[in-house]
Amino acid sequence: MFQDQIQMIQSITPFLLEGLWLTFRITIIGIVVGSLIGMVLGTLRSLRIPGLTALIGLYIHLFRGSPFLVQLYIFYYLLPELGVAWLQFDSMQAAVITLCLYTGSYVTEIVNSAIAALPKGQDEAARAVGMTKAQSLWYVVLPQALRMIIPPMSGVFVIIIKSTAILSVVGLSELTRQGQIASLRFPGDLLLIYVCVAALYFVYCYPVLKFADWAEKRIGGVTLKMR
Amino acid sequence: MENARSHQSEAIMVSIEAVSRSFKLPRAGKVRALDEVSATVRQGEVVVIIGASGSGKSTLLRTVNALERVDEGRITVNGIEVTNPQSNLNRLRANVGMVFQHFNLFAHKTALENIVLPQTVVLKRSRDEAVSRARELLSRVGIPEKADAPPGDLSGGQQQRVAIARALAMNPKVMLFDEATSALDPETVGGILALMRELADEGMTMMVVTHEMKFAEDVGSRIIFMDQGKIVEEGAPTMFFKAPDNERTKEFLNQIL
Repeated sequence: MFQDQIQMIQSITPFLLEGLWLTFRITIIGIVVGSLIGMVLGTLRSLRIPGLTALIGLYIHLFRGSPFLVQLYIFYYLLPELGVAWLQFDSMQAAVITLCLYTGSYVTEIVNSAIAALPKGQDEAARAVGMTKAQSLWYVVLPQALRMIIPPMSGVFVIIIKSTAILSVVGLSELTRQGQIASLRFPGDLLLIYVCVAALYFVYCYPVLKFADWAEKRIGGVTLKMR
Repeated sequence: MENARSHQSEAIMVSIEAVSRSFKLPRAGKVRALDEVSATVRQGEVVVIIGASGSGKSTLLRTVNALERVDEGRITVNGIEVTNPQSNLNRLRANVGMVFQHFNLFAHKTALENIVLPQTVVLKRSRDEAVSRARELLSRVGIPEKADAPPGDLSGGQQQRVAIARALAMNPKVMLFDEATSALDPETVGGILALMRELADEGMTMMVVTHEMKFAEDVGSRIIFMDQGKIVEEGAPTMFFKAPDNERTKEFLNQIL
């Protein structure tokens, strides 16, 4: 009796997997580039340089304080309207840039908080033996801060993966979009199609969370033992 | 008791001239932590700074290696002007060892690596040289067997020994001790004080903020008593403890002795 359903799943699976593959590629770019943006800006923000701190703060608040969907509309529909040559994004460019900046805003805040959470004595001890501010950051502060950011980072990565579902609105054939297309082909199996889509998201997100647990135990534990 | 006084020379190691520093506190408003403080420390001297909490003694110590900036005044250490923005503070700080109340060991490094890191980064020593110096110093402070232990596995006293070794690894000309025994269990305090006394006996120039009056009396070349950001009394330990001039000093000594 499930003959039809099995046939339907067989016929949409290649498309869903293709969607998953695109979702995967976009999120990897978003996560890698966004993390780099966040590491650099989070560290810079912790230096409390007048002006720069405010500027980075503005970036964080704009991107964390507005919906991803709205940001995507601005990058895809509004910026190209301005007529500036390098702001002419196609849907893929708009999607990737928005995702990188969105991820970056969260990572910036996480890195900045981790540095702030580190006991002040760590930096002071480094400075007291004659290290420069940069040496203190590189050898003492960041290695410890990076251990603390593993749990919140994995949380953000999973949010980012799920956020890419929104990219379907600009016509990118990522996983959710492929689900929508499939549901147009098989309108009667709406529920089953979206169960498959959800399952594929889960298959992607679950290992990320598991990996974070593992990494936290492996790497993160040392710092937490501080007296 | 033979002590650091025998090592004293005329050379001035630390000179503090009319230094002031204010803090803005959220509730108390503006607080003058240091109010035109002047003091000198000669080579080989052990100057012990005492006073109640909030009297400015830690702030004074922290201005000497520029962990705390000053609003006014001038500080020189071994001829380098700390308060001059042109001075190379990182060079200066390598000459001034600091031991903190809460040890501040690098939490992600073992005891040995805590002592190696500053040597390789700041003094550009080779790793081999730094490691051998670190091992030597761990033996010197009495815990050679703890080389590979992370700070979290060490007792407070052991952590402070590593911190002292880390400071000594830079071959400092002056050592600053900021309540180095205040966070320790009573039974560990004696060991750290004994180590500090050994350093003093070897002729190390030291500025020591402490509440250990016995140490101040036995080891100090000079005692400085601070109250509300000012030095209110200064003198040799015998004079200071037996016949203090100042009313505030008498009151303080009465409360703690």
